[in-house]
Amino acid sequence: MPPNPSKPISLEQLLRRGDVWRGQSQGFAPQAALETGHAELNACLLHKGWPLASLVEICQPGAGTLSQGEWLMLSPALRQLKNGYMVLLNPPALPFAPGLIQAGIDLDRLLIVAVEKKADFLASFTELVRADICTALMAWQPKHNLSYTELRKCQLACSDGKGLYLLFRPLSVQQQSSPAALRLRTQLHLRSLEIQIFKQKGSLNQATNTSIHLPLPETWLPIAAHANLRQEESPPSSTHSTNNVSSIKRPKRKLP
Amino acid sequence: MKSRLWLALRLPDLPLVSFPVHPKEQAVCVLEKQRVTYANRAAFEAGVDIGMDATTARLLSDCITYQRDIQREQEYLDQLAAYLYAFTPYVHIQRSDIIPDSGLLLEISRCLKLFGGLKKLCDKIASAMADTPTAYGLAHTEDGAWLLSYDNHSISGDENSADFISRLNHVPIGRLFDWPDEVEVLKRTGFNTLGDISRQIDMQSISSIKKRLGQDFSEFITRLFGIEHNFQQTALFKKPVQTYQPKEFFFDTMQFDYPIIQIEQLHTPLEKMLQQLGEFLRERKLACQKIEWRMFDIYQNGHHLSVHCAIPQNTWNLFYDLILIQLENQQLPFAVDAIELTCQHLQKWQEHNQSLDFSDRRSKSLGSNDLALLEGKLKARLGEQAFFKVSYKDNHIPELACEKVAIFAPANQELPAVHQYALRPTWLFETPLPAKKQRALFWRGTLELLVGPERIEGQWWANTTARDYYIARREDGLRVWVYRDISSGDWFVQGIFSG
Repeated sequence: MPPNPSKPISLEQLLRRGDVWRGQSQGFAPQAALETGHAELNACLLHKGWPLASLVEICQPGAGTLSQGEWLMLSPALRQLKNGYMVLLNPPALPFAPGLIQAGIDLDRLLIVAVEKKADFLASFTELVRADICTALMAWQPKHNLSYTELRKCQLACSDGKGLYLLFRPLSVQQQSSPAALRLRTQLHLRSLEIQIFKQKGSLNQATNTSIHLPLPETWLPIAAHANLRQEESPPSSTHSTNNVSSIKRPKRKLP
Repeated sequence: MKSRLWLALRLPDLPLVSFPVHPKEQAVCVLEKQRVTYANRAAFEAGVDIGMDATTARLLSDCITYQRDIQREQEYLDQLAAYLYAFTPYVHIQRSDIIPDSGLLLEISRCLKLFGGLKKLCDKIASAMADTPTAYGLAHTEDGAWLLSYDNHSISGDENSADFISRLNHVPIGRLFDWPDEVEVLKRTGFNTLGDISRQIDMQSISSIKKRLGQDFSEFITRLFGIEHNFQQTALFKKPVQTYQPKEFFFDTMQFDYPIIQIEQLHTPLEKMLQQLGEFLRERKLACQKIEWRMFDIYQNGHHLSVHCAIPQNTWNLFYDLILIQLENQQLPFAVDAIELTCQHLQKWQEHNQSLDFSDRRSKSLGSNDLALLEGKLKARLGEQAFFKVSYKDNHIPELACEKVAIFAPANQELPAVHQYALRPTWLFETPLPAKKQRALFWRGTLELLVGPERIEGQWWANTTARDYYIARREDGLRVWVYRDISSGDWFVQGIFSG
C-alpha cells in the first residue's frame, strides 16, 4: 500500500531506509551483494560481497594501461553470474581467449566494447549499465580523467541497474574524491595481491585502511633456480621443450 | 463459368535490358557460362547461334559480348509486373530455366468491360509496352498463350476458344522448349505438331500419353489445351488464379511550417513518423531491418541518413533511439523544411518461438533481442568494429590463437588438452611490444624472469616463428609474458597475467 502523504512519516520508518547515515552504528538495510569468492575479502565488505547496483572503483598502479590481477580478484565472482553478459568497456589490451577459458570465463557471454573518446565512454557506460542483459561491467577509464560530475553520472546510472559495475582507474586519482560506493586499490607483490579498501559507503573505518592479501597462483611464483639466475647471461640453454608442447604445466585448476 | 483469357507478353530482348543500347547493325551476344544464350538479329545474320561458344561467336560476327545478369532481368520483370498491375490483378511472371525467353502472363477476361473490350485493352497494353520489344499471344490457357506468342497472330478482338485450339494445333512440337526429352520421344514416334497430340487424345484419351511420357507432361498438355484431366468426372471448380501481390514498402513524409534548425525540434516529428511505421508494420505483420531518412531544405537539397539494425524489428522504438544517436553526433547540414521516411525492404514478421530446452543454454538465447538493441545503439555511436567478442582459434602462435568475432557468432571455447594447463595470460598485446635487453631485461621497469622457457614454434610454411616464452615479474609486481625470438634474439612483451 502506498504511504499516505498526509500522514507524517515516523522516525522508525525513516530509519528503516537504507540510505540514512547513522554515525557509528552500522544499521544498514541489507543490500544485494555478490559473493567475492575470497573469504577474507568478504569479511571486510559491508554486505559480505561486491555491492551490486553501485559503482565500484578500483585504483591500480600503471596509469590505467595495465592491469594488476583483476581477473584473479574477480573471476570467482564473475563465474557465479550464470545469466546475462559480462562487458569489458575500453579494456587495456585484447582479452586472450585461451587464458580466459582457463580462468573459467564463458567467452560466449563476454563482450568487448572499444572506445576512444571520453564522451563515447560515458555514453556507452550508461547505456550498458541500463541494459538489463549486462550483468557485469568492467570499465577502464579513458585517457582523460573522469571528473566528479562524470563519475556521479556513472554512479547514478549504476543505481538504476542490477549488476556488478567496476571502474578501473589509475592510482593517481586515489586522493581525488569520488562518488563510488566502494573504492579499492590493488597492488601486486612477490607472493600476494594486496587489496586495500579505502572507501566504503556506510563504513567509518576509512582511516584504518583495511588491507587484505590474496595469495597468487603457485605458477606465478618464481622457481628458485630462476630467481637466482639474475639474468646477466643469456636465458638458460637447457631448452628441452619440444615443438608446441607446453613444457610448463599449471597445477590443475578446479574449473567451475 | 466464364472462360478465361490469357495474354502473354514475351520479351525476346530481355537479356539486353541491363546493357547499353547499340545500333541495329551491331551484333550483340549475351553469354552465360561462355555460351551464347542470346544473340540479336545482326548476330544471327552473321551466323551466330544459341549455345555456340563465345570465341566462335566473336570470330563469326565481331560481336560485343556481355555476361548475362539474371538478377537484373528478374528486377525488370518485377517492375513490369508492378506496372501492368494497373490493367489486371492477375499478373504472372513466366521464366524458363532452359531458354532465356521470359515474360509476363496476364489474365484479362475479367477486365475487358472496364477497358472497353479486348481490342482496346490490347492496344492500351501495347502502347504501355511501346519501349520494350514484345511478342503477344492470346489463348484460353496460360501455356497456350505463351506458345502462341511465338506466332505473332494479330489480335482482332473476337477470338474464341475454338480459334485458339486450332491455332495451337498448328504449333510445332519443337516449341515445347521446357520438355526436351519428351519432344525427342514424340518426334521419333512421328508427332510433329500439337495437333497430332490432340488428335491422339481425341482418339484414345490422355492415358496413353500419360503412360508413355509421364504424369507431368500429360498434365502440361491438359493445362495447355484447357481440357479436363479426368474424363470420367468433370471438375467442379477451376484452379483459382493467383492474384498479383504488389511489393509493399513504407513511405511517409512531413512538411514543416517553418525550417527547423535544432535537432531537439526534430525529435517529435521523427517519433510521430516512426509511430506510423510501427503501426504499418504491426497491421501487416511485417518487420524491417533498415530505414532511410531524407531531409530537405527549402531549396530541395537532400541529406540522407540510414538506420540499420541486426535483427528485424516489428516496433519503432529501436529505430528512434538509433536515429537520435546518429543525430547527436552530427549537426544538421541545413535548416530542415521537409523530412521523408522510407522503408523499402520489408519481411514477414516471425514471432519468436521458445524452444523446449531445459538445459542451461536456454538462458543464453533469452535476451537476444535486447542484445540486438544494445548492439544497434553502441554500433550507431562507435562504429561497426567497436563491439565484438573473442573466440579461441586453433593455432600455436599466440596472437593467432585469439580472434575477434561478431557478437552473434558463437565463440569457440574448446581449448585442446595440450593447452589446458599451459600458462596463458589473460591480456594479450596484438602486436608484441619490444623489451630492451641490456644488463637486465627492461620494459617500463626492470623485468625478472620467473618461470620458463616454453618453446612455441609454428608456421614453418609461411614465416617460421620460434619463440621461448617466460613469465617475468616487473619491479612493481606485474606478471608479464615475455618471449625471446629465437631467430633474431630480440625480446618482446606479449601479455599480462592477471588471473
